[in-house]
Amino acid sequence: MDSPAANAAFAKQISLTFPLLSDMNRKMLKTYGILKGYDVQNETYEWALRANIIIDKQGIIQFVEEGDSAVDPNTALTMCTTLHKKGDAK
Amino acid sequence: MKHTIALGLLVATALAAAPVAPQAEKSHVAKMTLKVGDTAPEFTLLSDQWKTVKLSDYRGKKNVFLAVYVLAFTGG
Repeated sequence: MDSPAANAAFAKQISLTFPLLSDMNRKMLKTYGILKGYDVQNETYEWALRANIIIDKQGIIQFVEEGDSAVDPNTALTMCTTLHKKGDAK
Repeated sequence: MKHTIALGLLVATALAAAPVAPQAEKSHVAKMTLKVGDTAPEFTLLSDQWKTVKLSDYRGKKNVFLAVYVLAFTGG
């Protein structure tokens, strides 16, 4: 889990314009079911899956992608554009 | 895309090699139960500016693109 300080340095380095968030207690990852765990010799090790999730202004999930395909953000970005255009049409 | 905010969630763990686990060990994936059409569960996370960011902060204002990145090599 990266700390806010590490994220801040990284955001500055690559000039990001959106917030980088840290789930230090893994609460959100658990709620969203993104944590994967392995039991090895009576110890459980957990880490997060890659995921892209798009949530609209009403708080409704519009797109979910997890695993290897989520490494490429293009499908999610296309979905963002569609959602944005839909919002403008209203 | 001015109405869409992207939130990057960097979840770099030190377990890069862990997915290759011997067969005798048990794996369990917390299957992502969320699907399109569900209400997104509320969350509160710490931003890189040490401010709390809630999903509900964007309700009625912006669409949210949540990207969960593991091993993003932030140096953290």
